[in-house]
Amino acid sequence: MTNFPVIFEQIVNGLVLGSMYALVASGLTLIWGTMKMLNFAHGELYMLGGFGLYFAVSLLHLPPWTSVPLVLAAVFILAVLLEKGLISPLLGRPDWDVSAVVATLGIGIFIQNFAFKFWGGDFQEVPYMIPGTVTSLGVTLAWHRLYILGLALAVLIAFWQGMKKTRFGLALRATAQESEAATLMGIPYRKIYTLTFSISASLAALAGTALAPIFSVNPWMGSGPLIKAFIVVILGGLGSFVGAILGGFIIGISESLSVLFLGSGWKDLICFLLLILVLVFKPAGLLGGKEW
Amino acid sequence: MEDYRGRQLKIFRGVNPLFMWGVFLALLLLPLVIRSEYTLSVLIICLIYGTHAASRNLMVGYAGILSFGHQAFYGLGAYFSAIITMKFQLSPWIGIPLGGFFAALLSLAIGFPCLRLRIAPYIAIATLAFSEILLVICKNWVSLTRGEMGLSGIPPLQDFSLFGLAIFTFSTGGKIPYYYTMIGIFILTMLFINFQAGSKVGLAFRAMRDEQDAAASLGVNLTRYKLTAFLTGSFFAGITGGFYAHYISILAPDAVFGIGEMVEIVAVTLMGGIGTFFGPVLGAFVLVIGLEVLRGLSDYRLMIYGAVLVILIIMMPHGLLAGLTQLLNKVKTRTAGQLRKAGS
Repeated sequence: MTNFPVIFEQIVNGLVLGSMYALVASGLTLIWGTMKMLNFAHGELYMLGGFGLYFAVSLLHLPPWTSVPLVLAAVFILAVLLEKGLISPLLGRPDWDVSAVVATLGIGIFIQNFAFKFWGGDFQEVPYMIPGTVTSLGVTLAWHRLYILGLALAVLIAFWQGMKKTRFGLALRATAQESEAATLMGIPYRKIYTLTFSISASLAALAGTALAPIFSVNPWMGSGPLIKAFIVVILGGLGSFVGAILGGFIIGISESLSVLFLGSGWKDLICFLLLILVLVFKPAGLLGGKEW
Repeated sequence: MEDYRGRQLKIFRGVNPLFMWGVFLALLLLPLVIRSEYTLSVLIICLIYGTHAASRNLMVGYAGILSFGHQAFYGLGAYFSAIITMKFQLSPWIGIPLGGFFAALLSLAIGFPCLRLRIAPYIAIATLAFSEILLVICKNWVSLTRGEMGLSGIPPLQDFSLFGLAIFTFSTGGKIPYYYTMIGIFILTMLFINFQAGSKVGLAFRAMRDEQDAAASLGVNLTRYKLTAFLTGSFFAGITGGFYAHYISILAPDAVFGIGEMVEIVAVTLMGGIGTFFGPVLGAFVLVIGLEVLRGLSDYRLMIYGAVLVILIIMMPHGLLAGLTQLLNKVKTRTAGQLRKAGS
């Protein structure tokens, strides 16, 4: 049963899944790096990406390729409003680390149950971005999975380079290092916070649109990826961008391989055990800083 | 600047004992006034939430361990007591305390990994992941927990007579004996919390919460006190969960281990004021009764809990009472100022 093509197929699936975990987790780690907060609503922004694509494609009959940018823009605007209205009043309070967790947890639960109440708990299907499959080396893969892998790699590399080379990236890194000093250098750190939060929300939504055709769209689709993303960022080291990508692929591949050996119900257990092991033996994560 | 954990190290003189016993007595006498089975069942739910939240408050408010996985202990107590009473025909009166001990024992499994974590968000993730692990196990170990189908037919509490003074008859199906049992668990929990907070352990907890390094440098054994917080907090959550299982007689994984349960308990603790003695109970009564009164809103329960969390943390991080007092003071000083202005 567990012959080579099956294992190879699972590794490819793991890469696809891992690339999405990396995308979701890089948003989380970005927010942590700049704002020093955990976003518990991140999973729901992912869910909004999925629902947005479903509405645009199935109800408005827009082509998928125009829907995705529209959805991203909508989530971006929503995230700006959320940050301005609900997160920024908490900024600068001494209990910031805790209050941000509580506030985003509340926002997340609200959005999730809003979706359940008004959009229903049914599992909605969304068509693949690119239909059809490709067969090579004895392995059959949907084009859509390759699209996901390519998309994630392109976005992550673009983002990484952007952080290094653009003025915005410079401002962001400066704010992350020392927000007060950044302010003295004329960087409007509040604006950077808003932008960081919204960009990270869009990354989550992008992952939502990419995975929606594979896992169907429903109000609870965000909780799984959120917890996985938390595990990924801790494994990679909170605040480390490269760590999030590395962690994403490790979790993705170990999850797909554990499906083979343990069955799909138990596969989540592997990630959680990995998390506990990391917390016990290397709380800073693989590439993390000193904070834990 | 506000910090809802109230980072001031005050010597805890305990809650005013007269007030505490007054509250207990009032709760004990309530069934004399309230005869409706429905109202009693709402009160029982209030007390379950209140006790669960109080045990979380012990960890979060007193010891400063930001647990987002407290529902795990509640669920462990519930499932353990339900399963051993069903499999071995044990009396629930034995099952419930054993459930508490089992929850306390397993709390060490997350307590130890948390020892090295210093910042709150890490502890939040670790504890949440612990409860998610239990959710996965509970859903997949079908031969033991029946998985998503859930357990049903959990035995109810058994009749007994209290030294011939009072007879507790559960078999007739009335709510009053359950109410008194829950009151008993509640009073026991609160008395313990009061005792612990007033003792040396409580002082160490608050020192640890306010400034971990300073506490350690003054000789507070962090390992010991953190584990103490895990053990005691989880024990009472486990007992409450056990009672819940035998009271409601059905159990499903998401009902006890789910994120929804967690959000409700976080909201209840926050509403009453984290780190205050009666806060969690007050929060439970306000939220549970509030949602019962606004019957039409019960469909939007979790949406409301989410909104409540956001509003509270932004506007009243110290809880409802402190928030209202502050608001009142603000109004008072403003009107006083206006009066002075009008006078001059």
